[in-house]
Amino acid sequence: MENSDRSQMWRLTRLRHKNGKQIASCSEEMRVKRRENEKALRQARRDRQLVSKRLLLNEDEDISMETIPADQDVVSLLHKLQHSGPERETHLKALSKALRDSSAQLTFVNQENSMHLLVSFLTGSNTQCRLHAIRCLHELSHSPHPSVAPTCLPATSYLLTYLSGQSTKFTELCLYTLGNLIPDSDVVKEKLLAQGIIPALASCIENQRHHLAVVEAASFTLSQLLQAKDAAETIMSKVLVSTLPSQLLSVLTPDPQFGLAPAIECAWCLHYMACSQNGKELLACGALSKCSSLLWSLGCAVREGNQDEGLELLVCPLLRCVGNLLSFCPANSLTDQVGDVKLVVALSAFVQAYIHSRPALARESAWVLNNLTAHSTDFCSALLTHNLVPALIQSLAFSEGINTMILRVLANIANKKKEFCVELVQQGLLSSLCATLKMADAEMVTLSLEVLFMLVSSSPQVTEEFVRLNGVSLLEAIQYNSEGEMRRRAAYLLEHHLVFTSSSCTTKT
Amino acid sequence: MIMRAGQNQPAAAREEQQKSEIPFNFTSQIVHLHKDHSLFEVGDVNRHLYLQDLYVCETDAPNPAVSVSQFACHISGCSAVFIALEEYEHHYNSLHRHVCCSCRRSLPSARLLDIHIQEWHDSLFTILAQRQDMYQCLVEGCGEKFRTSQHRKDHLVKIHKYPPDFRFDKPKKDKRAKETTRLQQKDTEMEVTEEVCDSEGVCEVLCDVLCHHPESGESMEMHVSEKEANGMTNHASGTEQSSEPPRPEYFNRVPRTVCFGHGSVRGFRGRRGRRK
Repeated sequence: MENSDRSQMWRLTRLRHKNGKQIASCSEEMRVKRRENEKALRQARRDRQLVSKRLLLNEDEDISMETIPADQDVVSLLHKLQHSGPERETHLKALSKALRDSSAQLTFVNQENSMHLLVSFLTGSNTQCRLHAIRCLHELSHSPHPSVAPTCLPATSYLLTYLSGQSTKFTELCLYTLGNLIPDSDVVKEKLLAQGIIPALASCIENQRHHLAVVEAASFTLSQLLQAKDAAETIMSKVLVSTLPSQLLSVLTPDPQFGLAPAIECAWCLHYMACSQNGKELLACGALSKCSSLLWSLGCAVREGNQDEGLELLVCPLLRCVGNLLSFCPANSLTDQVGDVKLVVALSAFVQAYIHSRPALARESAWVLNNLTAHSTDFCSALLTHNLVPALIQSLAFSEGINTMILRVLANIANKKKEFCVELVQQGLLSSLCATLKMADAEMVTLSLEVLFMLVSSSPQVTEEFVRLNGVSLLEAIQYNSEGEMRRRAAYLLEHHLVFTSSSCTTKT
Repeated sequence: MIMRAGQNQPAAAREEQQKSEIPFNFTSQIVHLHKDHSLFEVGDVNRHLYLQDLYVCETDAPNPAVSVSQFACHISGCSAVFIALEEYEHHYNSLHRHVCCSCRRSLPSARLLDIHIQEWHDSLFTILAQRQDMYQCLVEGCGEKFRTSQHRKDHLVKIHKYPPDFRFDKPKKDKRAKETTRLQQKDTEMEVTEEVCDSEGVCEVLCDVLCHHPESGESMEMHVSEKEANGMTNHASGTEQSSEPPRPEYFNRVPRTVCFGHGSVRGFRGRRGRRK
């Protein structure tokens, strides 16, 4: 790949259809608002109620709202639409603008036959009217009121039909409308499934794969289906046996011109699939290999200091795919499926790059490292030969679950061979353990004792080194800890592994 | 979370496992996470911030978002927590190394601790002191001995230019009963807090906490009481020992550096143990 292509590759083009909220504003007001939003989302996540909708803006329009009261507008517009002739286009367009307002949306659905009327425009012969009608539906689908979505049911079979149409803009609107309707009601979701949304999405992606905006929209809609609370295993199985997984994989590599957005949506779909127990089906279409190789490229970019915004939005779901897919992969085919062992280099790069700015992402990277190294001597060895251990050891200082995960990785390495233990000691693990053994986190201390046990079991030189580092008094102190798990381990080490070094003890009498 | 357990264990451990119960049980495990796992929380929130057009690529946190792991004192009952390793070391070395198990005073050095125990808690010393000069000069190498602590104090002030209110030479206020019960003794508490050691506030905390001892089965007190009944002097928590094999030197030293007040060979409480 050419250098210029590579640098373009990771561009995140903000969806041109983002509504007017200012994203990059640094004003205090915006910062406060963002924090509030984030807090709300976090709570929603904890309640497992995290859903989002997307709004596609018409780029030709200006965003400013009209000043006429929206409610009145809707009613009078509907009235006009029922009767007028050639001015229908104008009225429909006005209606689509009026329906941006959430109370206007409620008014609309409460009017008798309003949806029926809209559907007739949606399916009529006037294509401009169709476009405005889908606009109206799109605004309705974005409604914060959960009662609105079910009223759109009469339109859904047509929306699905239009997915195989040729008008890309129209298709995009249909897709986002469907995607928005899905999380609002189970009735809608069930109906869509019955109407064949899954094969429709598969065909759509296949036929429109050169129109990346459509691919992005279709993947988003699929992700809404897959993310659904208790996404029944039936949905998951249907998707997994369709052509969707391989379609998604083929789109996964970001296009230099279009940017990251479609790949991001695909990656999230794959993540939800990998989380499912049937995720192992993904191995058959080479998901692990594809995701690993893309992660490798991203790792290189990150390591080179690539400052492109939004890389992490793709790194995150890819990490999760790889992490979970590894659990389905038999140990003996690991290297085949993953490809190169030097994936560990990319993962370590992510840990280092994100440890300060995005610690949760650093932790996820460490999780993947754990899954890679758990049963593979090759991957453990790669960490050593690529000299990645010192940086990992440095990361043991950080909390928020990062150090426990990293220590697991180091434990995986120590667990494989005595030679690895010796190398780990040479890289400075023992003196770090002398620090981690004093940490407040009980899991860290217990895990440190486990690693220590492995290290001192490997050779007497290690034991001597530990004693030289004043490790004995450290273990003695642990014997007074209130946690029995720690006391037992410390006592065991003192009794069985350090007893023979008492002659070289320089403790005071 | 679904784990896949591995079969790996260090070879040495496998052999030993046949011989005795080893408490180590680490196994490498692949971890599969379901989509609602807490480890995925932050990433999910970011995903939805992005969908809702609220995502900011550059983090606007002025300080590093990640926190450094804290250190905590191991000694049960001591709840001190530290940001830096040096703080931990300093704390431990100052407060837990030379502690008298009888009265829980923390002394700054092994020598001063030795002297303290001898003068405060050794009945033999009390007897001998009636007839001979037993109070040693606190300055190492001086070697002088005195009949009373007052004499020693005068010596310290006059000859060694010590301050007259030197903290580590406070005379004992009154003789205490040999079988001092530790629990809820208000007098003891008060007495100790008056005669405070260098790290004043924390020493009080130390004593206070140990006085209000938890009643759990693992508590040092109960455990040691059983052992006391068997006339044993070692204290190693968590291990049952029915005989007294000769323990390595540092092992006997353990109770000397860290004090819980019971079953330690450091210091006297009536007939419970004699220092070698």
